[in-house]
Amino acid sequence: MFANYAPLIVDGLADAALIFFVAVGLTLVFSVLHILNVAHGSFYSLGAYLSVVIGTFVAGRGWPALSFLALLISPIIVTLALGPLIERTLLRWTYGRSEALQILVTFGLFLILEDAQKLIFGVQSYSQDAPMTLLGTTQIAGIVYLNYQLLLIALAVLVAIGLRLLLKHTGVGKLIIAVVADQEIARAVGIDASRVFMLAFSLGVFLAALGGALASPTVGVSPGLGAETIVLAFAVAAIGGLGQIEGAALAAILVGLTRSAAIYFFPEFQPVVPYIVMLAVLLVRPYGLFGSIGLRRI
Amino acid sequence: MVVRYLIGIAVIVGLLPLAVSWLGFVFTVAIGKGLAALGVAILLRGGMISIGHALFFAIGAYATAFLMRGKINELITLFVCATFITAAAGLVVGAFMVRYRGIFFAMLNLAVSMVFFTLLSKLYHLTGGTDGMRVMTPTLLGMELSRPAFEQALQLIAIVLMVGAALAVDRYLKSPLGQALSAIETNEVRLEFLGVSARGVLLVAYVASAALAGAGGALSAVAIGHVVPEFSYWTLSGQLILIAVLGGISGVPGPFIGAFFLELVRTFAVGFAADAWNAIIGISLLVVIFFLPEGLFGILQRTETRMRRPKA
Amino acid sequence: MIHLKTFAAAAVALLVLAMPATAQSDKPSEVGFGVFTFTSGPAAAYGMPGRNAAELVIEQINAAGGIGGVKIKPTYVDEGQGTEGVVAEFRRLAADQNNQVMVAALSSGNCLALAPVAEQLKMPTFMWNCDTHQLFLKDKYKYVFRTNSSTVPEFVASALYLLSVKPDVKRIAIINPDYAFGRDAAAIFTAAMKALKPDVEVVAELFPKLGSPSYNTEISRLVTAQPDVIFSNLWGADLENFVRQAAPRELFTRSKVILALGESILQRVGTLLPDGVIVGVIGDGWWLSPDSQKNPQTKEFVETYRKRFNEYPVFPAFKMANTINAVKVVYGKALADTKGKWPTRDDLVAAAKNLKTETLTGTIELRDDNDGLVDQVIGMTTKDSGHPFPIMGDMVRYQASLVTPPVGVDPLAWIAKLNPSVLATLPKPGSYK
Repeated sequence: MFANYAPLIVDGLADAALIFFVAVGLTLVFSVLHILNVAHGSFYSLGAYLSVVIGTFVAGRGWPALSFLALLISPIIVTLALGPLIERTLLRWTYGRSEALQILVTFGLFLILEDAQKLIFGVQSYSQDAPMTLLGTTQIAGIVYLNYQLLLIALAVLVAIGLRLLLKHTGVGKLIIAVVADQEIARAVGIDASRVFMLAFSLGVFLAALGGALASPTVGVSPGLGAETIVLAFAVAAIGGLGQIEGAALAAILVGLTRSAAIYFFPEFQPVVPYIVMLAVLLVRPYGLFGSIGLRRI
Repeated sequence: MVVRYLIGIAVIVGLLPLAVSWLGFVFTVAIGKGLAALGVAILLRGGMISIGHALFFAIGAYATAFLMRGKINELITLFVCATFITAAAGLVVGAFMVRYRGIFFAMLNLAVSMVFFTLLSKLYHLTGGTDGMRVMTPTLLGMELSRPAFEQALQLIAIVLMVGAALAVDRYLKSPLGQALSAIETNEVRLEFLGVSARGVLLVAYVASAALAGAGGALSAVAIGHVVPEFSYWTLSGQLILIAVLGGISGVPGPFIGAFFLELVRTFAVGFAADAWNAIIGISLLVVIFFLPEGLFGILQRTETRMRRPKA
Repeated sequence: MIHLKTFAAAAVALLVLAMPATAQSDKPSEVGFGVFTFTSGPAAAYGMPGRNAAELVIEQINAAGGIGGVKIKPTYVDEGQGTEGVVAEFRRLAADQNNQVMVAALSSGNCLALAPVAEQLKMPTFMWNCDTHQLFLKDKYKYVFRTNSSTVPEFVASALYLLSVKPDVKRIAIINPDYAFGRDAAAIFTAAMKALKPDVEVVAELFPKLGSPSYNTEISRLVTAQPDVIFSNLWGADLENFVRQAAPRELFTRSKVILALGESILQRVGTLLPDGVIVGVIGDGWWLSPDSQKNPQTKEFVETYRKRFNEYPVFPAFKMANTINAVKVVYGKALADTKGKWPTRDDLVAAAKNLKTETLTGTIELRDDNDGLVDQVIGMTTKDSGHPFPIMGDMVRYQASLVTPPVGVDPLAWIAKLNPSVLATLPKPGSYK
């Protein structure tokens, strides 16, 4: 019994891990800034591009092990270069304006970032396999898996726990929660809300770029990756309830498992699965599994 | 006022292709997108943003392709049927959508359009999958025209469609129903107190906007001669909002001006900056949002008032 | 009303500015070619070699004085912009009378969309790469030619070769891209296998969408199905991603794998592919084939290409080079027919009818329905001391006539009638050397 479904579960969870990184970043930014960032997927693809470029560079110099470091450094570079800059300039201007306008501004940003990537990295497909080859493989139920895929699952769990700890048990986290709960009062008691906004947005960028970087050894990176990722992240974030971290985690697992089940049983319907799940969930719970209309929590 | 702008646009769009023949095709496609963007603009009037409106554009386009497969060959019949089919789809989807506002409205539309997109791509034996379906040259009032003659006729029909749709929407927006739509954005609760059903008002707007997108999709399908699932991809939905805002939503000519601008920029950009045309569009969008909130149409109106002042 | 006048004035001004100021002289200073290929997106991995080859061949032709003294001026169009943009570009280029030839379309979808447009605009169009057999199946075209083989001979060849190297196959699995090319290939390959070996069974059939970044779940699915043989016509970056993800997971050692377009990634994945994987070039465009090795022109092309672009020309490069060279031959014939007067588009179409010409890698023959006849070369990966990547060994060259159904015959019905006895008469693997 287990032997039949083991691959389905392992593949589903590995898929879920990658979706989780992007979706949780999107949902975090939404809960703090109340902006649905259409350009979020572009940070994912930027992280992926950069880590492939750095990773293949160091691997080509004879240090393949360093490509693991590249997986961590590239999202940091993306975050430092873009996070504060975009929040301070473009997004700041949209606070308090209509949702339509906010979506449009981030859509404009999306178009610019997509082409910027084409100009910087060209249009050919990139890939790296040093991290994957170094870690080797494991057999589960007769099927060879990359240890890297298993590592991804573990990392996603770690990031979920880490985020929880960060928000509940650190000063920064408490500031974020205070701003999410009530911005006016937070400001009144002397919290620098605009700093919190910047931090939260940068954290979101980091999570997306990290997702891209971690995905890069197992996927091909080419133009269009950002556009594809963002719709999936939207769906997952909406299923979980916009602004809900646990929701995003649960939704990612749900979507990951149903997608891999679809490949086994109804391969034709695999791509439509995330959106069908989204519609089904929203028909029953209009604001997502963990969401509610008035109350926005983390 | 609006009529004068529309005639002006119609004259330019009608005459230019006489000199540069391939512009006729570009303009016809631009009008197709302009119609859909006009639909998006209606929703924007009510403060609603849909990142999935390409759904109806695609329904109109595929309805045309399927009707032709079902041996309906008359252009006018095709347009009317495709528009009605899309309006009906708009009614079904809209009945569900009008319960939501803001982000949720935007995302649900996105979800529905992506479901449609993936179905179009996956149901290979029915829709031709990602290769899409061919749309042959239909007859016009029973006449079988050669392709060049047909394209000229189609261009004229597109212009008539543009002017007609714009005038109808203008009248609708000025009617009590249209005014109530703007009130949803400003104060929905007050509207309900006045005894007006906000959902009803929105549903009318939603169906109208779907019908416009469907007509635009049908027009584009016939002009291009081929329909593909990308017609319902979310980036086209984004483009439609962009066209509406770029052109300006304060008046009905706005979306069409936006569409002509976008298609022309695209046509020229493909030649010398193929990899940067999205960025060019993105930057113009940000410039318009930050510095010219009324869009290109707003600029046109302002220039006109300025020109008129010294003469008065 | 004053504004109406302003509008009218503006319109007239634009009209005058845009008036084409060309007087047709007999021999133009240059002739325009529209060249359509993917230069962006995952398909670019396959499209760029085509574009590179076009650049190189056109440069060579121009350096040698052009066509009858007229230089070729190519306009490259990116198919990555979507069908709508591609059709718009085609129309725009066709409107300029100086553009006389379109070398159009890598993707089957774009070919199917462009063919009727070419016919409407009476534009001579040479399909350099797209393979879908649907192109000439129902429609008759006067202006559209395919200087390339179609899906039918290409994947019948895969089935024939597979049965000559592994006659005991029972369970087959298929993973193809989700569009006409992948779907048709699955149908053709399955039909051919069933006709030639009636007891085969399809145990898994997957159609991931074109441009999928990850195939991990599909790979698990394929392994679970325990097939004897996995057939795939994935291509471009998709194929490269698939191989990179599948090789470490032992997919290539557990089942016999056919990568029908595999040659295009041999140089990119290096030693990742083990020996014995069946790879093809869907046509005869293999730079190390005996015919290519014999032809000094081909050797020169390969060397120049490698020096300029830092890799050996993969088969899409030959499809493009062969097409442009064939167009040059068409011009030669047309110029002879018109006695030196510069040919019109219609003259070109007349000259292209039933063209038969030598190419860098073999021959192209255009049939009565304008479809191309090209031989099929196929083999298996083999290590080679001269290169840091595997090359094709145990090659076979199937004559076009052997694997292509005759004009006007329904291809699937033709395949269904294939008789297992044909296997005994086939050239053996390794016979092409």
